[in-house]
Amino acid sequence: MSQVALITGGGGGIGGAVAQRMAAAGIIVVIADYEGGTAERVKGEIAAAGGTADALAIDVTVAREVKAVVTDVAKRYGRIDILANIAGGSRYTKRVEEFTWAQWKEVIDANLKGTFLMCREVAPIMQKQKSGRIINTASNYGVTGSALRTPYAAAKAGIITFTKSLALELAPDLVLANTVAPGPTDTPRVMEKESPEARKQRWWSQIPLGRTALPEDLAEMYYFLTTPESAAITGQTFHVNGGVVMP
Amino acid sequence: MRLKDKVAVVTGAAQGIGRATALMMGREGAKLVVADLQGEKAQSVANELAALGAESLGVAVDVASETSVKQMAKATFERFGRVDILANIAGIYFPKKSVVDLSEEDWDRTININLGSNFLCCREFVPAMRKQKSGRIISVASGIGHYGMRQFSHYAASKAAIMGFVKSLAREVGPDGITVNAICPGSANTSMPRQHRSEEEVLERLQATPLPHVLEPEDIAGSITFLASDAAKFITGQSYNINSGTYMF
Repeated sequence: MSQVALITGGGGGIGGAVAQRMAAAGIIVVIADYEGGTAERVKGEIAAAGGTADALAIDVTVAREVKAVVTDVAKRYGRIDILANIAGGSRYTKRVEEFTWAQWKEVIDANLKGTFLMCREVAPIMQKQKSGRIINTASNYGVTGSALRTPYAAAKAGIITFTKSLALELAPDLVLANTVAPGPTDTPRVMEKESPEARKQRWWSQIPLGRTALPEDLAEMYYFLTTPESAAITGQTFHVNGGVVMP
Repeated sequence: MRLKDKVAVVTGAAQGIGRATALMMGREGAKLVVADLQGEKAQSVANELAALGAESLGVAVDVASETSVKQMAKATFERFGRVDILANIAGIYFPKKSVVDLSEEDWDRTININLGSNFLCCREFVPAMRKQKSGRIISVASGIGHYGMRQFSHYAASKAAIMGFVKSLAREVGPDGITVNAICPGSANTSMPRQHRSEEEVLERLQATPLPHVLEPEDIAGSITFLASDAAKFITGQSYNINSGTYMF
């Protein structure tokens, strides 16, 4: 029987690559994204490559929406083996005193609360199955901090420690929870705002491997964390960043 | 096969994590240099690999000896002409002694074998990796390098130092397309813990992890093999914990 993966942010750069990597390995992927159109696009690409995918729209910050989507997916497929929480991000870069309370909450909720809500709904299903892999997404900023991104860095640090606590809670039922922490990655969302030349200037000299990450580099780590080879790994944080941060 | 035709040198490959790693890499298509202080046992793992259809060379090596490591490198290049993967797994754990009781000889021995071996082996193999603009180095550290352990200060220091060495080397060789990472295993089902605990104690400890999964050498080998594969080409300078959830750094 094929495994079933639910991937939030699956219509974005990293999420899309993760969906494609898992689908290529024969996993049925359910692509959930705030922008339903992007999820449909990834679904089409996967289908064209011979994989099996489903697409749906979700706002991971709305509890009832999360509950409805998870219930629906579990009913449709009878199980959820993998949950990859990739939805998140931040559109703000500014000093802490310039953040409004609403903006602060927006960033915390999109990243940390969304991860909590998804895990809260999916964990009981996996516990019942006595198997499951949860992979959350942090950032190197969750370890180093980042000027002008206080809520984002705080949310990502929160995800790392939330995941450790979750891992301890779910371990007795053989449900594993880990975090992937990307560094600077060339996603369409980022490349819209910065020219390849500016990006090269800003980053390449700081990264030992001499380039920024491609979404595919990240996708391999998410996929590894779904395989039997990673059956003893839980509560850990996996930095994939070309060496820009070595905690 | 994820490591087809790659040449991998695995130290400490006669038993435990090293043996599991050599066998897994062989199944993934790699050609193996099976290196260990126990030359006969290394040869027997090399024979196991040959039976699996993997090319292999058993080598007796003292990883804390400059001359011996140089000979191992020479044998590697004579047989295979190149090196793609270096897995630094050889290491020791004992003696179990408080800091105040530890002799200078005890200290030197642990540091030289666990840490010095990383320096000596990397120094021999990095130039060839630089020339071909690719290479993978994976060193086995330990969770104890993070959280320490009473009566094993020498071991903890050597393992923490491996992580520092790995990060620095990763920065040095990154521009040449070489990645360097560490794996920090928890207590695994090998002969090492059985050297100072009864079978009952060992099993009790192995089962006392948050995740009800006894850590086997293959669990560690799986992550080492992943880091040696193309899938991990953008990972460098990291220390990943594989421990059934006992420690989360």
